[in-house]
Amino acid sequence: MAEPGLTGCQPSPRAQQLIDAYLAELSGRLAGDAAARAAIVAELEDGLWAATTAHQARGLPSEEAARAAVAEFGDPRAVAVGFGPELAAATGRRVGLGLLATGPLVGTSWLLLVATTWRWPGREPPAALGLVAALVGLVLAVAIPAAALSVVLSGRPSRWLPAGPRSAATTAATAAGACVAGDLVLLAALLASTVFAGGVAWPAALLAAGASSLRLSLAARAARRCLAARARLP
Amino acid sequence: MLKGHLDGLLLAALEAGPLHGYAVMEALRTASGGRVDLPTGTVYPALHRLERAGLIRSSWSSEGGRRRRSYQLTAAGRRALAGERSSWREFSTTVSALLEGRPWPNPA
Repeated sequence: MAEPGLTGCQPSPRAQQLIDAYLAELSGRLAGDAAARAAIVAELEDGLWAATTAHQARGLPSEEAARAAVAEFGDPRAVAVGFGPELAAATGRRVGLGLLATGPLVGTSWLLLVATTWRWPGREPPAALGLVAALVGLVLAVAIPAAALSVVLSGRPSRWLPAGPRSAATTAATAAGACVAGDLVLLAALLASTVFAGGVAWPAALLAAGASSLRLSLAARAARRCLAARARLP
Repeated sequence: MLKGHLDGLLLAALEAGPLHGYAVMEALRTASGGRVDLPTGTVYPALHRLERAGLIRSSWSSEGGRRRRSYQLTAAGRRALAGERSSWREFSTTVSALLEGRPWPNPA
């Protein structure tokens, strides 16, 4: 079957408005990863114009053809609900992959700080560093498996797991939340070291604090996105 | 009833070659004489789900100044389609035998 083409179709401004209004309403009802939402809107925009062209080929004028296309695509709320599981899976996957990719960079920046601050003989690490390490270890024990699970649950195995998208969003939100907690612990420890433990190596401290602050901000936003995508699931 | 066979229908629509989402809807409508008219909120998300499962893959192109996403079967998708066809034949043979009071066909 030949695909409906778009060439030779000059849409009227009113047809453009009808389709833009439909896409705006749909876009407002999608929750989750921004890139995935943009891809869905772009795909449906093409679909709406393909439908408009098909209706024009059947003799309808441009505006009526666009109106018929919008009617054919149905209530944007229903379309958004249909995409809920895919957005939850896409969001969970992107967040999980993002955390797994950036985690080592943040960790390395903190290890660099420890190595440069307490490298001289006689400068012993404070005893509280052991507590910080234990808390961070706990965070990693939650965050790494949760992030890895979100990637697995949103990938091919999800074919056999009906609850895959919901679980992917939940595990990714858990991983992101754990990273937020871990970054807060590290930043608080840095502040305490600066005030009570005789200071730290500042270039490395700025690097580590910057990395954790950035990751904290992104992870908090990612967790909210995952939870929003999960909340829209039917 | 269609819901249980949605994946098979979509895979069958893509068997001849790559199609974009609306063309898949049109292909199903045309091939069924208008009897199968699946809603957008079903077809497009199902295509995404099939891609996530590795049964189809998508690619973006430019068409008339707009971005177009087209789907095509993967090798796993062709195997899944063969499986869907086999399941459907067995199911329809069973139901036909029951509804029409025919004996179960014995293999030759």
